[in-house]
Amino acid sequence: MEPVLQLVPYTGWVYPNETVFEWSILIAVYPYITGLVAGAFTVSSLYQVFGFERLRPVAHLALLTSLSFMIFVPTPLLLHLGHPERAFNATITPHLTSAMAMFGFFASFYVALLIVEGWFANRPHIIEQAQKRTDLLGKFYRVLTLGSYDLSEYAMRFDRKWIFALAVIGIPGAHGLHGYVGFMYGSVKAREWWSSDLMAVIFLFSAIISGVSLLAALYVATCKMRKVPIDLACLKGLAYTIWAFIMVALVLEGLEFASLVYKGREGVDMIMQYVTGPLLIPYFILQFAIGAILPFLWLSYMIWRGTSGKALVIGVTVCACLVLFSVFMMRWNVVIGGQEISKTGKGLMSYQLHFWGKEGALMAIIVTMAPLGLLYILTRLFPPWHDKATDAH
Amino acid sequence: MNDEKTKPSLDARRTFLSKLGLAATCTGAVVGLGAAGALKTAIAKSESSSSGGQAKPGAAADRKSFPTPDYDWNKHEWAFGVDATKCIGCLRCVEACKRENDVPANAHQFRTWVERYVYLADDKHVHIDSQHDPVNIEASGSEKTFRFANRYKDKKVDKAFFVPKLCNHCTHPSCVQVCPTGATYRTEDGVVLVDETYCIGCRYCVQACPYGARFFNEETGVADKCTWCYHRITKGLQPACVEVCPVGARIFGNTKDKQSPVSLFIRNSRVQVLKPESGNAPNVFYVGIDKEVN
Amino acid sequence: MPKHIFRLIALIIGFVIVAVIAVPILTVDSFYRFGHYRANSVTEIASEAPVYQTSRYCLACHTPRVALWSANSHKTVACEVCHGAAEGHPAKGKLPIPKDTPKLCTLCHEAMPARPRTQPQIDPTKHNPSGQQCTACHNPHSPKIVISAAQVKGDVAAGKKRAEEACASCHGAQGISDNDIWPSLAGQKAAYLARILAAYKSGDQKDVVMTPLAQALSDADIQNLAAYYAGLNCGGARSTKLAGNAAAGKELAKNCAGCHGETGISANPAWPDIAGQKPGYLSNVLKSFRAGLRKDPMMAGVSRGLSDADIENLAAYYAGQSCKP
Repeated sequence: MEPVLQLVPYTGWVYPNETVFEWSILIAVYPYITGLVAGAFTVSSLYQVFGFERLRPVAHLALLTSLSFMIFVPTPLLLHLGHPERAFNATITPHLTSAMAMFGFFASFYVALLIVEGWFANRPHIIEQAQKRTDLLGKFYRVLTLGSYDLSEYAMRFDRKWIFALAVIGIPGAHGLHGYVGFMYGSVKAREWWSSDLMAVIFLFSAIISGVSLLAALYVATCKMRKVPIDLACLKGLAYTIWAFIMVALVLEGLEFASLVYKGREGVDMIMQYVTGPLLIPYFILQFAIGAILPFLWLSYMIWRGTSGKALVIGVTVCACLVLFSVFMMRWNVVIGGQEISKTGKGLMSYQLHFWGKEGALMAIIVTMAPLGLLYILTRLFPPWHDKATDAH
Repeated sequence: MNDEKTKPSLDARRTFLSKLGLAATCTGAVVGLGAAGALKTAIAKSESSSSGGQAKPGAAADRKSFPTPDYDWNKHEWAFGVDATKCIGCLRCVEACKRENDVPANAHQFRTWVERYVYLADDKHVHIDSQHDPVNIEASGSEKTFRFANRYKDKKVDKAFFVPKLCNHCTHPSCVQVCPTGATYRTEDGVVLVDETYCIGCRYCVQACPYGARFFNEETGVADKCTWCYHRITKGLQPACVEVCPVGARIFGNTKDKQSPVSLFIRNSRVQVLKPESGNAPNVFYVGIDKEVN
Repeated sequence: MPKHIFRLIALIIGFVIVAVIAVPILTVDSFYRFGHYRANSVTEIASEAPVYQTSRYCLACHTPRVALWSANSHKTVACEVCHGAAEGHPAKGKLPIPKDTPKLCTLCHEAMPARPRTQPQIDPTKHNPSGQQCTACHNPHSPKIVISAAQVKGDVAAGKKRAEEACASCHGAQGISDNDIWPSLAGQKAAYLARILAAYKSGDQKDVVMTPLAQALSDADIQNLAAYYAGLNCGGARSTKLAGNAAAGKELAKNCAGCHGETGISANPAWPDIAGQKPGYLSNVLKSFRAGLRKDPMMAGVSRGLSDADIENLAAYYAGQSCKP
């Protein structure tokens, strides 16, 4: 069968080889998911390491969310590879100068860390289930106990120390992982839109706001599903976190854009033509206005007025969803946008998003939603709930 | 208040120590794989310096006649010259390259291509086109043959010229830098190659090349690029594009030979390279290109 | 240390050991030999077979063709540029002789703004308006059309004297033939006349009548005759006995215009004017070119595809044109 090229329409002058689009929506989904991992882990660490007691109801959920998204991080990459069966070549003979080769190590280290930390956090539950159950699931739990049912105060003290230590390591780990994803783009000097020293930092902060927002939304959703009251203090804590990090993210992205325009290096004409043309709506309207400034103002208003009750729940949930959308748009505008500006500096391409196919919109949606399915299974196996009902137990 | 903050100091220290231990363990897991790779390098190096090991006449001799028995890559340092003032835009080079190297038969993926720059009298913007332009595809009649449409014949043209393009086989290639596996590399004789059996098809190199010289080959599932016809030059032949160029606009040779055509070309003309600011140190040297060419 | 911590650490160490052992085993042979790549891949790439065989490869069998080609201006155009890659030839069959030469040749020779001025270029709509094969006139292996239009330095008076003795009986007293099958010579290009007479004399061109007559001429006679006839007024009687269709001939004549001019007045002194020429003579000459009796590589090419009717039409068209520019 003749392979079908994903040709893109273009204007101006682009290199012939650029008319085939290389990195599709899946590569925009990939940093999005990694960002959610890093952000969710931040919430868990805020409780575990920095003692943000009000985040206790979501701390365990954050860990599980982080893990289930992390497990799916490689999927968009694998789906995109020309030879996925050779993927391990990157870990067998990692090319140390390549940003991408190191990703495999960062990612596997981080998955291991999340599993171990989650294991410690859930050990009492695992042991309880292992002793109670006799079915197949009981076997699964018994394997997970590693043959030790020790829940003595002495053993538990070890567990708490390990959790603390892993959370401490996990913070640089998660942010290293994600900042590093930003570096993967920022280090490509061939693309003016990517090649920026700030790229890694911007990725980090947008990661944090996306992860915290995801948790806020998940927390509200799970409370509704489980029909338990929402802990408003916790939700407020999440809202403060989102507010603070949106502010930093906005400032950074503003500075990044300003310095790009101010320096006005070769090719800036094309970038200006691009951001004021095809990128006007996705960048300024969707990513900034609706996705970042609107929730920022809304959250500011709620914090200022001390909004509480149902209005706070609705407000934070809507803001969280907007931020989630905004961060996705940010990934899109970087990954797809960067490729839409020709390396010639004299032309623009326009990516055609298909719905079906290995790299289509449907696949992107499946890959983004799959971690939620895994999260559902994990919450059944290792209930992360810390509300009054379970705490009393 | 949480317990951590009220712990006695002895306990805190033990917490820290165990934390450190864990950090070491976890880091070990990651570094382990990398270290194993490094170990393998060391082993390989010691193997190649000793004469035994593999069923070959010995690594030293092996290296001398590498990569083929009749060719020694230590005696060559290849370079390419392009005299754009001679190019007539016949695109025989493009067709020969496609045929010689089994490049996908379409008008969008090229190992080498030719650009046309036209400055019109009544327009300050330069008009640039190449083989992927629909007007040129129509003029050639198919995506498998190539021809420049005579689209400016009735216009008032101030200045116009053709520029052949190909991989620059940079001394510091950014494609090689970003390749996660080592499936693309620069040989001792200065040619950047792709190992088609090892490439995972991530296309990071396609993104990283400032010159748009790489593309993703859908048929093989790997990155594809100009090899300077490595299978020809190691047999004493010229690259296919040089072989068929009717006007001598493409010059190729060994810079270790001071009398080779390319050495003379570089020595006797004021040559320049594309996008020198990339820091890649390209090895395709141009004469007769203009400010808009990059 | 509690049991579960110990077991966890053991598990992690186990994983690391497995990884450290697995990586060298999984690393393919020849990787790292010269650097961070598979050294064998270099050999694999270098061992691929070339597709283009170079013009040297053609020399062994096509020696005369290669000799002609390498002595002429297309010597910089490798054989495989027009005939395609020689991989598998001759075992797998013949290489193509290009069919669509106007398309092929204009790849390089169509006048185009970006082409360097030194490149010979033509406007196909003017140079070859009917789109006939370029090979009709040009030998691709020796593409330049070189016909020596040597300067004719003859004495008109001496020429007149010699003409009256040897030529007038057939070609007319004033160079206007009164027979339909004998050409008029008045006003003809001197260089052409000298060339064709010399050809009859040397035997390059043969004719039962002309050959012995020309052999009797000295080189000076030829010069004188050419100068004399070229100076005569061609404006004599125009033939009215037209067998062919002049309008159809006009269409066909576009193929001839490149050399003989639109109406049959040639631009080059080496090529004859044919406007107002005797139609019977024109059709005879074309037919003998077609049959190979008259030797001229270019005319042989262009006349090859003409039917008898085409020839009559062409003759009718040119015969009807004014011989004065």
